[in-house]
Amino acid sequence: MWATNLKIVGLVVTTVLLYTLVANMIPQLESEVPGELTFSGQVTTEQLVAAGEELYQGAGGCTACHGLGTRAPDLLTDEAGQGNVAARCDRRVQGLACKEYLYQSMTEPNAYVVSGYQPIMPDMRRTLSAAQIWSVIAYLQSLGGEVTVTGEDIAKTEQAQGGAPGAQTPPAGAATASLDPLELLRSNQCLVCHKLGTEGGVIGPDLTAVGRRADAEYLRRAILEPNADTASGYAAVAGTMPVNFGQQLTAAQLEVLVRYLVGRK
Amino acid sequence: MRRQNRLGMGIGMGMALVALAFDPALAFAQEAAGAVREYGNFPWLGARGAIWIAAEVHLMFAAFVLGVPIFGVVAEAIGIWSKDERYDRLAKEFIRLLVIAYSATAIWGAVLTFFLITLYPRFWAHLSAVFEVSMWVYVGLFFLESFTLYLYYYGWDHWKTGRAKLGHLWLGILLNVWGTIVMFIADSWLSYMMSPPTAVTPDTAPETVRLWSAIANATWMPINIHRIIANVVFGGSVVAAYAAYRFLAARTQEERAHYDWMGYVGNFVAISALIILPFAGYYLGREVYEYNEPMGITMMGGFMSWLWIIQAFLIGVLFLAGNYYLWVGMERIPGAERFQPYTKWLLLVLVTGVIVWATPHTMIASREELEAMGGSHHPFLGVLGVMSAKNTAVNLMILTTFLSYLMYRRANKRPVVAWARTGSMVQAAIFLAAAAVVLFYGIYGYYVTAIVRIGFSVYQVLAVLTTIISVMILDMLVLRGAESRGEIRWGQMPVRSQYALFVLVVTFTWLMGLMGFARSGIRQHWHIWEVMRDTSPWAATPALGYAAQMISACVLIFLGLIAFVFWLGGLIEKPALLPKATPAPAASPVPATMPAD
Amino acid sequence: MRELLKHPFWQAVIIVVGSFVLFEFGVAYLPPLLGMKSAPVPNSVLLQYMLTVLVGLLVYVSDNEQRWRRFKEPLHAVLVDPGKRALRMVLLVAVPLLVGFVTYDQLRPSVEAPLGLRSIHPAPPGQITFRGKTIVLARLENPLRADGSIAEDYQVGKRVYYQNCLPCHGDPLNGRGHYAHGFNPAPLDFTDNGTIPQLTESFVFWRVAKGGPGLPKEGTPWNSAMPAWEEFLTEEEIWSVIIFLYEQTGWTPRTWEEAAEGAEE
Repeated sequence: MWATNLKIVGLVVTTVLLYTLVANMIPQLESEVPGELTFSGQVTTEQLVAAGEELYQGAGGCTACHGLGTRAPDLLTDEAGQGNVAARCDRRVQGLACKEYLYQSMTEPNAYVVSGYQPIMPDMRRTLSAAQIWSVIAYLQSLGGEVTVTGEDIAKTEQAQGGAPGAQTPPAGAATASLDPLELLRSNQCLVCHKLGTEGGVIGPDLTAVGRRADAEYLRRAILEPNADTASGYAAVAGTMPVNFGQQLTAAQLEVLVRYLVGRK
Repeated sequence: MRRQNRLGMGIGMGMALVALAFDPALAFAQEAAGAVREYGNFPWLGARGAIWIAAEVHLMFAAFVLGVPIFGVVAEAIGIWSKDERYDRLAKEFIRLLVIAYSATAIWGAVLTFFLITLYPRFWAHLSAVFEVSMWVYVGLFFLESFTLYLYYYGWDHWKTGRAKLGHLWLGILLNVWGTIVMFIADSWLSYMMSPPTAVTPDTAPETVRLWSAIANATWMPINIHRIIANVVFGGSVVAAYAAYRFLAARTQEERAHYDWMGYVGNFVAISALIILPFAGYYLGREVYEYNEPMGITMMGGFMSWLWIIQAFLIGVLFLAGNYYLWVGMERIPGAERFQPYTKWLLLVLVTGVIVWATPHTMIASREELEAMGGSHHPFLGVLGVMSAKNTAVNLMILTTFLSYLMYRRANKRPVVAWARTGSMVQAAIFLAAAAVVLFYGIYGYYVTAIVRIGFSVYQVLAVLTTIISVMILDMLVLRGAESRGEIRWGQMPVRSQYALFVLVVTFTWLMGLMGFARSGIRQHWHIWEVMRDTSPWAATPALGYAAQMISACVLIFLGLIAFVFWLGGLIEKPALLPKATPAPAASPVPATMPAD
Repeated sequence: MRELLKHPFWQAVIIVVGSFVLFEFGVAYLPPLLGMKSAPVPNSVLLQYMLTVLVGLLVYVSDNEQRWRRFKEPLHAVLVDPGKRALRMVLLVAVPLLVGFVTYDQLRPSVEAPLGLRSIHPAPPGQITFRGKTIVLARLENPLRADGSIAEDYQVGKRVYYQNCLPCHGDPLNGRGHYAHGFNPAPLDFTDNGTIPQLTESFVFWRVAKGGPGLPKEGTPWNSAMPAWEEFLTEEEIWSVIIFLYEQTGWTPRTWEEAAEGAEE
């Protein structure tokens, strides 16, 4: 009988192994979990903070100004002896709790310009979804204070914006649909850092006569992958330029921009 | 109690939100109190792996426990009305296995529940908030079901004759009723995960979801129906494997004869139910599409499309093994020699059918091969990759299997009715007509648009079903009072046929695991479709290779445990069986036809 | 010879060889004789076919006791017959060598790209963002079919096709344009009934608008080179080129009510 038992076990195991083998021979595809932030009402604080940190350091483009010390208040460390943003946020405006203050500074930045700075910050709703804005706030709060942002905030904001709650928020689109190069430079906040003629800032390389030193290919790459190559003399601000222009500009806009810049001789 | 607590908490949260604007500290305190642990972790396997195994093995046992009573009762009824002692013995043997398997089901159910509570607390909180009443009913029914089962089994010999026997049969029916309701309730939970009512959104408080709307969701009924049929298939195949095992272990001719016959009945039940299973599957698929189109496309054409090629492969094995068992079995039937030369042609049809059915539309190919084909569709074989060809192949395979069965049925009979010859001619004509209809619509399907073509599959299926029913009725009439060419020599079965039964049970079990993966996997990264997102590290639905390993593990665990159950069954039975010297079934008048009559 | 043909073992051998020849060469070279297009069968499919044939043969030789015994005779003889010692030795050496070679062949490094599978028609998203505008794909019909004349749209679509699509998809819309041969995956052949007639117009719209970059993961491992046309064409232009595709090939698009059945795969 043991011989029979072994035969049965052998047959069963062989059959199971055969099926497993067949299933392993075909191409292996995992389903895709969409990367956009679609937090439901039950999102945890940790998730918000983690997502916010990623945005702050990366695609959100915040570090372009904040943290350099001259163009915008320092958020992460200390600003005029008041501590970091988490420590000072709820004292900024009478009657506004920390997160509400931060939300307003991101959506209506010119309402509360910190004295000593120019009103250059854009409305972040143009580039970030409600979930993304609230994650950034959660991250900022986590720097020192209590995180009070919850999934509720996201849902309320989405509803207020008319989006269906829980529906996927459309990814950040272009800042403008225009194909006018100057308009593009302004609306994409290029001139906050770069100088063009008399207009613009001095953080990044001057673009006034950029066509003399760079060709179209270099410029295209510099816009899409700003960290690939740093212009000499600007090593201190390397990594400051946002890396999300690939998402913000359409292909046509990018080409218009590149052509315009190449022509600046 | 719990509900009130939660309500209290909800109100507390609401107040906190109001307070939020004025006092961040208070808000934070509430926030901390309201935070729930979302996911647990399980060593090595991970939470998903642990749940996967617990749920799948529980489901396999549950399918067995629900499928076996259905034909246990039918067998008992046949025993009562045909006065054939063997059916009664068969039914009792089934139910004995059931008593042991029942506790295994309950144990795995408990494992699943505890895993859900500890590993997926957030999800479990939602589910229990929506379904709490039904969960209480479920537990109550579980009691009723177990006690009915005990009465049914332990009262078997007590209520053996006359009116009491009918009462006993009624107990069996009651057992099925409880079992079915229990399954319906459990189905409502999982179908809610797939297709929650559209009114439920991520922000809906689970307490506010109306229980009945959650239960009667879009895929609930299709899943119920699909599962009832599949349970019968599964129960039949497990019983057949049990019989095969006992056949191989048998020492006496009498035992061999009994288990040979039992294996045949189990297999017959499994294959007959299998033939109607695709229609239930079609209904389920249709409801999935109606509920949410992208979900349906993910299932059929998205990243899961290759699952259906594997499924085709497995079903090909089922068809081949099922027919093989019949053909080998014909050797123990006097008079079957006349049909044996034809089996090779049936085999040819089956093999061609499997080849066509499993021809992928999009082929895996290297660069040069792709170049030669001009894309991943083969210019010639691509024709076989579309639905028209596959439907045609499957319908012809079903017809062929039915023909095999007819030959088996007729093998030892000599019809005596005057119109026997005409009757057989008509049967043949119906067969040919059905095959022609299937082929015609299969080919014509290439010349019409998708919308018309989908209608064609209905005609093909109708043709096959009509054939099966009408030919079967004709056959019974033709064979009325037929002479016997000799009795079936039950027990004189080559050993390799029994191994075919093992292949069948492994394949059925594996297929069940695979289809379970398909049904559950199309939710992708949602615990509850578009209501509660899976934010755990296991949110992505795994690739087929990984899934296959999990399925194999579940199958081996289940089969190992069920083998233990069988062995226990043997231990109980031995003292009872040996002294009993019933006349050898081979000598008793054996009905050559099976329970279907 | 006649005897040989009647012996199940040799029958099996003949069938294996015969079906191999049929699948390997027959499929590729017979249909062209009848004027049909064909190509060699990919190895993965060949393996699958041969496996099926082998299982079928195993069923054939063993479903009858007598045949099974005769089938085993030659095998048995080779294993124990004293007169067949030489053959036995040869097999003893040849079989392990063959297994070894197959293993080696499978594992040796090669420049061949790994076999991959692209799902040509992956599941579409529920909605897309077209130039900042959200378009719900489910149940979406071609808006141009409702108003305006098909003939006009056809002319517009024709112009768009010849200006943009021709280089890859070709003049006869057969996916064999001038550049097509450089691409893997190859451009789609619209004249094949496995392509656009299986799809709703909204699906085609999604594919044209988002191109290769917008393909979900099952559309990989090789990303299609199709550009995201939303950046170059307007919504109307895309809809009209879709009308052109269907009008020109004579196919009718899949309609929504019937789309409830499985997608073809």
